Formats: sequence, C-alpha cells, structure tokens
Amino acid sequence: MARRLMVLLFVFALVAAACSSDDSDTTTTTTAAGGDTEETTTTAAASEETTTTAASGEEVTDLRWRTRPDNDQEAAVYQSVSDELNATFANVNLVYEAGGTETEGYQQALLTQLSAGEAPDVFWIPGADIAEFASKGVILDVRSLADADAGFAEEDFYPGPMAELTTDPATAQAGGPLWGLPRDVSAFALYLNLDLIAEAGADDPRELAAAGNWTWDAFNQVVADVAALAPEISGYGQSSWWGPVGWWMNSAGGGFFNADRTACALDTEESLAGVAAFRDLYATGNAFTYGEDPEPVFKAGQIGMFQNGRWATPGIREVDFNFDVVKLPDGPGGPSNWAFWGAYVVNANTENPQASWDLVRALTSANVQAQVAELGANIPSRVSQDALDAFLTFTPPENNQAFLDGLSENPTTEAPLWNGDWPSYRDEMNTRVNAVVTGDLSLEEYAANICTDLNQFFD
Amino acid sequence: MTQADTTITTEPSTTSKSQPTWLIGIVVWQVILALGAIGLAIGMITGAVFDLRGVGLVLAVALALIVAFYALYSIPRLLAHRNAGRTMSTLLNYTLLVVFTVAALQVMEIFRGIDAVATNFRDQWQWSLIIIVGFLIYSQAYRFKKQEKTVQRVGRWVMIGGVAILAIALGLIPGTIEFLRRLIQPDALLLAGLAAASGVAFWLLRRHEATVLFETTVDQAEAVDGYLFVSPNVFGFLAFFAFPLIFSLFVSFTAWDGLTEITWLGPDNYIEIFSIQFATLGEGQAASDVLSTGYSQAFRFGDVIMGARDPNFWIGMRNIIFFALIAIPLATFPALFLAALLNSKIPGMKVFRAIYFIPYVAGLLGVLLIWKQLYNASIGFINYGILRLFDGINAVTGANITAPQPEWLSDPNFAMWSIIIFFAWFMTGYNAVLFVAGMQGIPESLYEAAEIDGASWWKKFRNITVPLLRPTTFFVVATTTILGLQIFTEPFVLMGPQLPPSGPNNSTLTPVVQLYQEGFQRFNQGYASALAWVLFIFIFGITLLYFWRQRRNEEAGL
Repeated sequence: MARRLMVLLFVFALVAAACSSDDSDTTTTTTAAGGDTEETTTTAAASEETTTTAASGEEVTDLRWRTRPDNDQEAAVYQSVSDELNATFANVNLVYEAGGTETEGYQQALLTQLSAGEAPDVFWIPGADIAEFASKGVILDVRSLADADAGFAEEDFYPGPMAELTTDPATAQAGGPLWGLPRDVSAFALYLNLDLIAEAGADDPRELAAAGNWTWDAFNQVVADVAALAPEISGYGQSSWWGPVGWWMNSAGGGFFNADRTACALDTEESLAGVAAFRDLYATGNAFTYGEDPEPVFKAGQIGMFQNGRWATPGIREVDFNFDVVKLPDGPGGPSNWAFWGAYVVNANTENPQASWDLVRALTSANVQAQVAELGANIPSRVSQDALDAFLTFTPPENNQAFLDGLSENPTTEAPLWNGDWPSYRDEMNTRVNAVVTGDLSLEEYAANICTDLNQFFD
Repeated sequence: MTQADTTITTEPSTTSKSQPTWLIGIVVWQVILALGAIGLAIGMITGAVFDLRGVGLVLAVALALIVAFYALYSIPRLLAHRNAGRTMSTLLNYTLLVVFTVAALQVMEIFRGIDAVATNFRDQWQWSLIIIVGFLIYSQAYRFKKQEKTVQRVGRWVMIGGVAILAIALGLIPGTIEFLRRLIQPDALLLAGLAAASGVAFWLLRRHEATVLFETTVDQAEAVDGYLFVSPNVFGFLAFFAFPLIFSLFVSFTAWDGLTEITWLGPDNYIEIFSIQFATLGEGQAASDVLSTGYSQAFRFGDVIMGARDPNFWIGMRNIIFFALIAIPLATFPALFLAALLNSKIPGMKVFRAIYFIPYVAGLLGVLLIWKQLYNASIGFINYGILRLFDGINAVTGANITAPQPEWLSDPNFAMWSIIIFFAWFMTGYNAVLFVAGMQGIPESLYEAAEIDGASWWKKFRNITVPLLRPTTFFVVATTTILGLQIFTEPFVLMGPQLPPSGPNNSTLTPVVQLYQEGFQRFNQGYASALAWVLFIFIFGITLLYFWRQRRNEEAGL
C-alpha cells in the first residue's frame, strides 16, 4: 500500500510540476488596466497561451512572440526588450521565445507549430515568405488595426518591404492589406581585409568608391592583386546562395524576373552577362573556392574581400586584422544591391489581435530597433534620419555608410513570388548557376533552357 | 475437465440472472456513453461540435459510432452474465479511461508543461538522494537480522519522506493549486468526469465479484490480463506509429501544405514521381525541344536523354544507389577485419573497442561540424595532410608532384564521396562491435581443431569466422543499408548553409533530402508523403531481398 501511495504521490507530483511555474524567473511585473502595477505569477515555462489572474483580479494572458536572432547576444537583447515592453502592456504577459538559426530549423518548427495551431501570436518570417504565409491565411491582415492607430505611418519604413507587406495575394498588387512590419533591413557590402589589400599594393576600394571609380574592372583588379600574394590567398569570397549571384545579374542590368515578376528573366542579355562575369571571376582562380564556406577563411586572413550582409558584422568584429567595408562595385547596369528584410507578422489565430499589433509596433519602434542594431547584425527598417544617423555610430566597421549606400542606390528588394513558387524557382536556378560556375554546364546550354524550365514555377 | 474449463471460483453460478446494483450502474453508464457518442457523431456531422471536414470528419464520426455500437452491443451480454460481455465492457472502459484521461490532460495543457518538469527536476534533483538513501537502508536491512523489519520500516519511511520532499520541491503545492484551477474548467471537468466513470466501470468489472458473476475461466481471465499488459505498447504503437503511418499514406494521395485544407488528388503525386520519357536529341536541339511539356531532363546518355516530371526524384535515387553501393561495403568489410583484431585477447583491447565505438555514440551533429572543418578545401586538416604528405614524398624522392587539393564539399565530383567517407567512418566502429559480439559466440573448439589441422589465421578467418558470422553479417548489412538509404543529416550539415543540402549540382541530393525540401521548404506535404512511401517501398523491397537471400543460404546449409 505504501509503495502504491508513493508511486501515486510521485506521479501526481510530476503532473503538478507540469502545472507549476519555475518561480525563479516567472514573477513578472504587469501593468493592470488601471495603471496599477501588480505582481503576478505566470507559467512562463509552459509554451502555451495561459491565462492567470493578477492580484487585482484581472486576467493576464500570455502573448508569445518569436524572432530568429543571429546570435546568443542578440537573443539576450530580445529577451531584455521583451521584459522592458512587458511593463507597458496591460493584462498581457509577453513571453519571448528565441527561435533557432536558419540551419536549426526556425522555419520548420514554425510551420509545424502553425499546422498544429501552436504558433506564437507574433513571429518573424523572412521577406520572401510573406506571399506563402499570406496566401495560406496563416497571418493576420492588420490593416484595420493599423488604420485605427494614429501613430502609425507606412512612410516611416523602407518602401520596398512595405510594398510587399501591403500586397494582396489575390491580385498581386500592392496597396491593400497589411501583413506586418519589417523588423530590419540589410544589404550587401564587401568586407575588406585592409592588411592584405595594402600588402598587395592594390588600390583601396574605399578610395575608389569615394572617387566614383569603383567599377567591376576596378574590383577585378583588386581581386587579382590580392590573389597574387600567395597561392592560398584569394581576392574575393562569397557564400554560394542566390543573393550574390543575383547581385551580379542585377548589377549587369538584369534580374531574376521580368518587370511585373510574372515570368523568368534569367535568359536576358543582361542577366546572362551577370552570370558570365560571375563565372569568369571564378575561372581566373582569383576567387575563393566556389561553394566552400568563405567566412572562416576570411577571418583567418586569407581572403581580401568578402561579400556578405550586415548580419556578418558581429562575427567579423572578432578578426585580428584591420578591416572595413565598402559598397559593392557599380556594374554595367549602374549601382545595385539587395534590400534584404524580414517582418514581424501576427498569427491569424491569435486571441489578442490588438495586443499583437501593439507588440509589432513596439518591436519596430526606433528605440527597440536601435537596441538591436547596436549589436551589429541589423540595420533599422525605419528611414528616419535619426535612425540612419544612429546606425552610422554602430562601429566597427567605420564605413557603415556602405550599407546605407547599398540600401539607397537602386536596391532590388528581396521579395516573394506572389504568382509563383519561389522555393522551387530558387533551388532550380541555384543548381543551374552552380553548374555554369563549376563548368558542368555551358552558358549557352544554360541560356537555352533556363527560362523554359523555370517558367513552369509561375501560376 | 480441462484447466481451461475450470472457473477460478468455487461459488455456484448465477442462474436467476438477478442483477447486482453495480452491474446496473455499468449498464446505465454504457447507455449514457452510447447516447453521448451518437449525439457527438450527429453534432460533428451538423457542425455543431468540432469543426471537422472531409476524411477527418468521417474518421471521427466512425470512431464515435464504433464506441456507441460497442457500448450497446455488450449490454445484453452483460445482463446475461456472459463473460464475452464482461471482456468487451472491460476493454471498452479501459480504452476510454486512457483516452479520456489523455484528453483531459491535453485540455488542461499538462503535456505542454512537461518542460517545466525537466526544469524543476534539474534544479531540485538533490532531494532525490533522500530516496536513494532510503532505498539503500531498505535493501540492506537483511544485514540487521534482529532489527530487519525495523530497518526496513525506517528505509521505507525515509523513501516516503524523500518522495514527499522531492514532490514539494518540484512544485506539488502550487502545482496542485494550478492543477485544480485548470481542472475546474468545463472541458477538463467533463473529460475528467468521463475518465472517472470509465475508471469506476473498469474497476467494478475487474473485481472478484464480477469474476464470480460472469463465471470467468482462468484462460478468459488471463486473456484479458494479457490485453491489459500489452495495452501500453498497443496504445503507443497506435498513437505514434500506426496513425502517423496511415495518415501519411492518406496525405500522399492529396495536395496539402500542412496549413490549409487537404485536397484529394488520387494517385497524381505518384504519377508525378514516376512519369519519365526518353527522347533522342537531334543536331542543335535542346532537351526542352524534344521533351513533352512538364518534363525536364534528368539524365543524358550520349544523344539520348531521360526526361522526368520530377527529375530530382531520379537524381536522388541515382545518388542514393551510388552511395549505397560504395558506402555499405566500406562500412562493413573494414568493420569485419577490425572486429577480428578487436576480438584478440590482447590486454587493453576493451579500451580499443570503446574507442572505435565513440563516433557512433557521439552527437552526430557535433561530429559532422568537425568533419565540415576537416573537409574545408583551404584551411581543412585533410587537405593540409595531403599537402604535407606530398611535401614529404617530394623531399624524399626529389620529385615535384603537385599535391591534389580536392574541394571536398563544393566540387560535384567529390561532394558525395565526402559523405561516403564520413558514413563509413561513422558506422565502422559500431559494426565492428556487432561483429565482435558475433565472433564471441563462435565456439573456441572450432578454432582449436583448425589449429591442430595446421590452419593459418586467414584460413580460420575465411572458413570458420566468416561463415559462422553470417547471421551477424546479415544484420549488419541490413541495418547499414536501411540507415544508408535514409541518409539526410550528413548532406544537410556538410553542405549547408553555403549550399542547399542537395549539394553542388544536386550531387548530394538524396530521397530524404528531397522529401525535406518538398515538405518543409516548399510546403508540399502531400508530395513529400508520396516520396516517403516510395522510399519506404524501395527500402522494404531491398530488405526483403536480403531476407530472401538469407533464407536461401540457410536452406542451402551455407
């Protein structure tokens, strides 16, 4: 009997423990509707939306939100932001959940949770996923909430992302609904190993850019000069995803799609010129091995120029050589870059639409964006001069203006395909471009089939 | 009279069919249950309860009606005091007890708080030491012959105290308050009430009084006990294996993105997978000129091209077959020879066995990240080793041979080889341990007899070890094949994030990688499920082939 009693007691204790909170970190301060500050205990350890009763007798509901931080330091800032904002929300307890990185399956976990109806109230998604989420009805159109919000103005944010965030899936035209607000933006720059460039006697790309002479030819010359230093030194490196090769196409005056993004444009003369230049750069042997991860090699001091986004800055700040950044060189099509972005969106099934919208607004406020951007991985998505001025102070690198130039000089906004299947298009395009660069496919064969095959991914 | 016919009671059987109160109670409960289940079915059909549609609605209604039928069907047998009625009712109420309890815990969101249990236990584990101390006292009580009972009692109370303290530390008191708060919510209360009613009915039917009333034989009682004993496994199998399996089979015939409604497609996904076309290229023609709309080139053999509606499937199959043909022998034969070495009676050999086993027990992701660095073409140790090796050769021979520096992960010609090498390295130690276990089952006398006959090490290995290891070899090859054909983590980690897991030019695209891309990157859960079933049938077919070969060998006395 005693044994049974013990077993029962222990099982019940486990069940009760599943109901109990971790007292050490769940006592949070919540402002009640009347403005009084109340002490309340909530079940932060459980991931569900729970409702507890504050000492005042009013119900306090968990509002879960998630974003994908670039590193642990950024996750800590988001947690601290969540704690700060918590005090300003009435009857809502903010619960921040740090999502994993791209390789840790942020998207997969989110998709699974959405499918099971367990996703957070507010979450971050990459800009290219907006169409998929909006057309499937899993994110909330917050237009009515935004219209009722006197302090909100779409013009406060970069227009490219806002155009995508206001696109109607039915018509693929901007100006209708509102799917969320951009968390941040980013652009490519070239991270420079100044020591290597000086040792090679190459022209300083920053000076070339300042003089307006930073062109493809000048770029190729610096690459060649640096690569000539030693066999293990490369003049240029990039990670082999669609962003870098897309920039070469854009910079040549081409692009992935036609003007209204309803058909493939990879076989236009300009796009092919971009791919050809990209291939030729690798054919010289002056660039770091295509497909290999260049970041550790750049950090090891063996690459002169490393093309990457702002998100790489925290890691590169650790290098022990002199580094800075310069904008991407101007191609035949003029200055060009990408405007990368991601957005906070509201779960269509949230029980707290108003609080969720308020949270999105708070998370995209100038103050919060500045706190996150200070760590180095992000650029504020607001276009106010204050935000831009503040960003310039987040050094190193000294030449932060290079990123802002990238965002202001004819950037192509990272965008979903409202009339097509972007993941399939992207994967097939990557495979073909890889084959061209590695010499397994001639540019002529690539040009002959690429759009015939990829146009099938449009509706 | 056989034992099977013997009742386990000596009391006379009931002939008057007078109904005890508890049996009336069970019958009333089952009538309520049946009516409730029928009402639930009608409510689901009309949309009054639950928002179910399509197959989900059909399944839910069918389940409710089965419960209703089963509850009503057993009532006349219960009233006739037939054991079949007792068995049916026992199993029905037991199943409902489990289902309602799980549903109540789900509604109360207990399962979601399981992480809180882990967190709390991590912080409060020290109190479990008291339980261990209590157990030690209890278990060592026999040493105190005169005071054995007393010591046992002390040990028991120390354990009870330990459990109580641990329970309180884990949050028993606030947890109980929270538990009760959640329990008094209408949904939870209803489900808990249903669970309690099912539990009471189950308990009443399990009592000795019921055994007497229904004249249950020993065999009949043992049969029900058997069902109850295997029930945890059966429930686990149904919930975590059978249901997902059948659901994925259903999904494979649909278009479903995991988020919106399921659309029935029939065999379209399978047709998409298997649609191929062969065509001959003429002078200056491109693949798109000779293939039908919707087909893309998968392979090219001279002027002949093979087109497919899903070329990635065929590329993945080609890659995985190539991988299996190379990697499985590489993970098996070296393991066999390694096992022969590890099986020798040299001091310290157990340490070596453990060392070779380490890759398998180490975290796969961590090991892969290390290999990713090793494979780095510029700063990786493998290429550095090759460089130094050739430096040495050149220094010794005076030659001037340029060291090859393969781009292990970015060159389509090497990418799959880098995965093969890793897989072989990873599996060899594990397979060697299996072989060692097999070798230790071979009678020593066979080797002694062979030695007397003057057999060499090689002859003993070839004529005794290898033939007698056939069952182990079968197991090793079969399991390695099954693992190898499902390879995913290796390309995912080694290729990413610079390249997609399908690698340069799709050179590391495997069926499971494609399944992942379709299901989680392109939101095509239906198509991904169809791919999963095709892969399952492929692996199952190969496994059956192994079994068939093994049986033929056994029949031939090999």
